[in-house]
Amino acid sequence: MVDVGVGMIAVGAGLAVGLAGIGTGLGQQDVGAAAVGAITEDMSLFGKCIVLIVLPETIVIFGLVVAILCMFVLPGMA
Amino acid sequence: MLLPEPMSRIVIAGSKSNLDEAIDALYGLKMIHLIDHTVGSDEGFSIGAPRPYVGKTSERLLSLRAVEKELGINFDSENDEEMSVGEVRAKISSNSVEAIGGEVFKVLDRRNAVAQKMAEETARRDDLRKISGIPVDLELYRGYDSLAVAVGSVKADPSAALAGIDSELFMSGGETKKESNRVIALFVKKADKEAALRLLADFEFSEIAVPAGTGPAAAAAAESETKIASMKAEVDEAEKELAALKEKHGTDIIALDEELSIEERKGSTPLRIATSEYSFIIDAWVPTAKVAAVLSGMDKAMGGKIFVESQEDRSRSLHDVEHAEPRFKETPTKMKNGAYATNFEYPVKLLSPPKYHEIDPTIILSIFFPLFFGFMVGDIGYAIPFMILGAYGLKTAKSKDFKAIATILFFGGLWAFVFGFFFYAEMFGMHFIGAAGADGITVDGTAVTWQSLLGVTFPDWFSGIFPDDGHGISKLHAVTFLLKISIYIGIIHILIGYIVGFINVKMQHGFKEAFFEKGGWMLSFLGVVALCWGMTEILIFENGFEGMVLIMFIVGIALIVAGAATTMKKEGGAAIMELPGLMGNILSYARLTAIGMSKAGMALAFNYLGLVMFATEVGGVMGIVCGALILIVGHLMIFTLAILSAGLHSLRLQYVEMMSKFFGGGGKEYEPLEIKRKNTKIVETEV
Repeated sequence: MVDVGVGMIAVGAGLAVGLAGIGTGLGQQDVGAAAVGAITEDMSLFGKCIVLIVLPETIVIFGLVVAILCMFVLPGMA
Repeated sequence: MLLPEPMSRIVIAGSKSNLDEAIDALYGLKMIHLIDHTVGSDEGFSIGAPRPYVGKTSERLLSLRAVEKELGINFDSENDEEMSVGEVRAKISSNSVEAIGGEVFKVLDRRNAVAQKMAEETARRDDLRKISGIPVDLELYRGYDSLAVAVGSVKADPSAALAGIDSELFMSGGETKKESNRVIALFVKKADKEAALRLLADFEFSEIAVPAGTGPAAAAAAESETKIASMKAEVDEAEKELAALKEKHGTDIIALDEELSIEERKGSTPLRIATSEYSFIIDAWVPTAKVAAVLSGMDKAMGGKIFVESQEDRSRSLHDVEHAEPRFKETPTKMKNGAYATNFEYPVKLLSPPKYHEIDPTIILSIFFPLFFGFMVGDIGYAIPFMILGAYGLKTAKSKDFKAIATILFFGGLWAFVFGFFFYAEMFGMHFIGAAGADGITVDGTAVTWQSLLGVTFPDWFSGIFPDDGHGISKLHAVTFLLKISIYIGIIHILIGYIVGFINVKMQHGFKEAFFEKGGWMLSFLGVVALCWGMTEILIFENGFEGMVLIMFIVGIALIVAGAATTMKKEGGAAIMELPGLMGNILSYARLTAIGMSKAGMALAFNYLGLVMFATEVGGVMGIVCGALILIVGHLMIFTLAILSAGLHSLRLQYVEMMSKFFGGGGKEYEPLEIKRKNTKIVETEV
């Protein structure tokens, strides 16, 4: 008998990372394109642009944390 | 050590007759950061004019640069040997630049004249070749009273169309498929010329000017060919002479260029200082520690002919600066770091150089940047190549960018080794330390442990900190443990950011301001930390709402309320919106675990593919070769990705999570007047 609950947890973890990743990608695509444009004009903006580009990255980290909690903490609680 | 070098403002005044001497002395000291004089800031003074010799120098430099361009010399290039400045100056004053220019341009003019003639002759020859198929001698094309001649190329045979006009048509070419080489010569009465040309237009007639000459065109073309060959020889000869001149004067030219550029720079210095009819005043920044050296240095160089005085030691408080003259407001930043930390100035400058009034984050960066990198990589299999690559780069790299990358590779690799050996006990994703019964390694039946490897016995409390998986801490299994560590590292890291921010504001505006601006945030942050801890205990570890958890809850909420109230007083209600961001900041450090995990996961996959599936299950020579190939390519990929992901994410944590808590940036770098000589050197006895 396969434990469906464990499977669902895995699906949930996957969704958490995957969807958050898509969100981050959507956020970064605009910033990234604009930043490349800005850097082409003025190389000294590189550092500032990096900061702006990586801001949406936090979202995927949230997703990852949720996924990790799903995978490692939830089974222990059940 | 954390702050940029303290600066003092000095003023130098003297008589204009000593200006050249003073400029030499300023450049010689290599410590003077000039403050540009602005119009109207001192009554009776105006911006100085370039020294009289600059005109001549610029002229010479211009002609020298033209020579360089013609000879294909790059003025940035370096000579093998440095020429003494005395020698270069003697050359300049003996009109060496003019002589070289004269010599080069004489040959150049000759070459250009011949080349011009050659181009004309080549065009003539091409025309002659085109009409060479027509059996008419050259002198017969012109000199008629009533006859007009039209010579040119056509696309098709026009003889049928021209039948109605009384004319004589000669035609050549057109036998081949290529119709464009069909050339005609039409002899027609002057009166009919218009009509004939109109008819020819349908055949895309394009006129060829018949070159002057006598005899058959073919013979003339051959003669022209000989002329071209001899001219070509002349041009080649001139080119050779130019090459010889480049060989002969190349080193001189580079040295002269350098000396003239320096002269021009020095001579234009007065454009940045204040002068009156008989005197000059120079305002400048000097590192406070060097003021005495500057005073004595100027005194030594100029004797009593100049007046130098220290005006102020610039403090870090912004209140003191408020009433300063606009041009004195900004103090240049000279980052002051030790031999190790200096390597990390580059990533800070990449963001922006720090201001004079704030703490230079380089040292903090130099600790945490490689540390995070190492924590994320954490594998001695990758660490050792990183260190080798980094050490090689540090030794050979010339460009700043590569040097910065080499620095992070070397020191990051060092930490990766430390973590890889003592913490994860991992090499290429495989654990080399393990207890008996687990998947670790055993030697003579006993497990390899750190205790046996290092020959020490750890106290119980120490071993108790780490999860016991039977081997080193696995990035894939001890995730919750690693996550916890990452978060704790994050809390410390962010707290350092806040503390530095507090110190910055206290230094700039005083304690009260610092408390309201940064202290409030710090309290809120600690509150969020306490609250998060309590929530984790309840939600994840299912502890009851009692004892320590309860205390942490209360403390957390109290701190958040107190912090928010303090912050709101300064920044208004909108500050509350920022509070959840604090948790985001902390959680952001989860990437420390995440990147490590992704690397370990990839390594596991490649190891399984290479070692288990191909080498063992497929087996045979083929299996082993394929397995080895997969391992090499796979681990190389992880290695390369590690530079990008671990490096960039580590940098991001510095920039966004930590430095945003205190760093203002936008400082102006300290740029002392100095002359860098690459191709010339000062010989003491001469100068």
